[in-house]
Amino acid sequence: MNGDPPKLGRTSAAFALSAAITILFNTVVACAKDAYGPLKALMASPSGSDWTTQGLADVILFFLLGAALSKTSLPEKCTPKSLTYFLAVAVMVAGVGLFVWYVLY
Amino acid sequence: MNVTSSDVILLAHATFGVLGTLSALWVFVEALNVRDENAGRIQKAALLVAVCMVVAGILGGYWYIHFYSGDKAAILKGPWPFAHNVFMETKEHLFFLTLILSFYLPIAAWRKSYSNSSTRKMVLCVSMLIVLSGLAMEGFGAIVNHGAQVAFKASARGTR
Repeated sequence: MNGDPPKLGRTSAAFALSAAITILFNTVVACAKDAYGPLKALMASPSGSDWTTQGLADVILFFLLGAALSKTSLPEKCTPKSLTYFLAVAVMVAGVGLFVWYVLY
Repeated sequence: MNVTSSDVILLAHATFGVLGTLSALWVFVEALNVRDENAGRIQKAALLVAVCMVVAGILGGYWYIHFYSGDKAAILKGPWPFAHNVFMETKEHLFFLTLILSFYLPIAAWRKSYSNSSTRKMVLCVSMLIVLSGLAMEGFGAIVNHGAQVAFKASARGTR
């Protein structure tokens, strides 16, 4: 009998990793552009708004990173449980981190 | 009655946000009781979450860029400046978390979750995260709205 839990699938696992990384990236960029004015100005130049540029960068990163990771063996090395925890913790850290940043900043 | 395009866009933004959140709750409940018959419904509801959140994001982004500056200035001068400094700032960046999760949900739900417990757990986790972040954003939106109301009331009292 095989006691291993069923796998998520390469694409699903790759995009789960990509989602967690993109979500953390989004929070880091949000804090960095507020702390460093020139970065905010640089991000505003391509689309007219730093918020729009950040959103587009997040979406592009999510799909490109997910597609790239799905071509590697990395997602298959992660257990489904660890991927689920990583994504949930990334969302909680990023969400609470954003709120705390704007309370303190 | 004077309904401006700003009002329509803002209300449509909130409506699509609520519909996306409710669709995520629908996915969660279906995934709790997953079986062969509702597997297709889970996939369709997951796609609906993504569509609603994209539309909510486009409408909200358009409103934020084209119409929010007046409200923002009033809120910052009013008695609740934190409605913008904390809640709007958090909301506008928290939205991207929900958007990315909404893009991922149909990908996670694409595999038949009734035959795979790991997929089912991932779908449950992601849909619940979308529900919680969606509810948080609805609450933050209400605080921003109230921040603008108290600012305009304070301004009206000052000009009398």
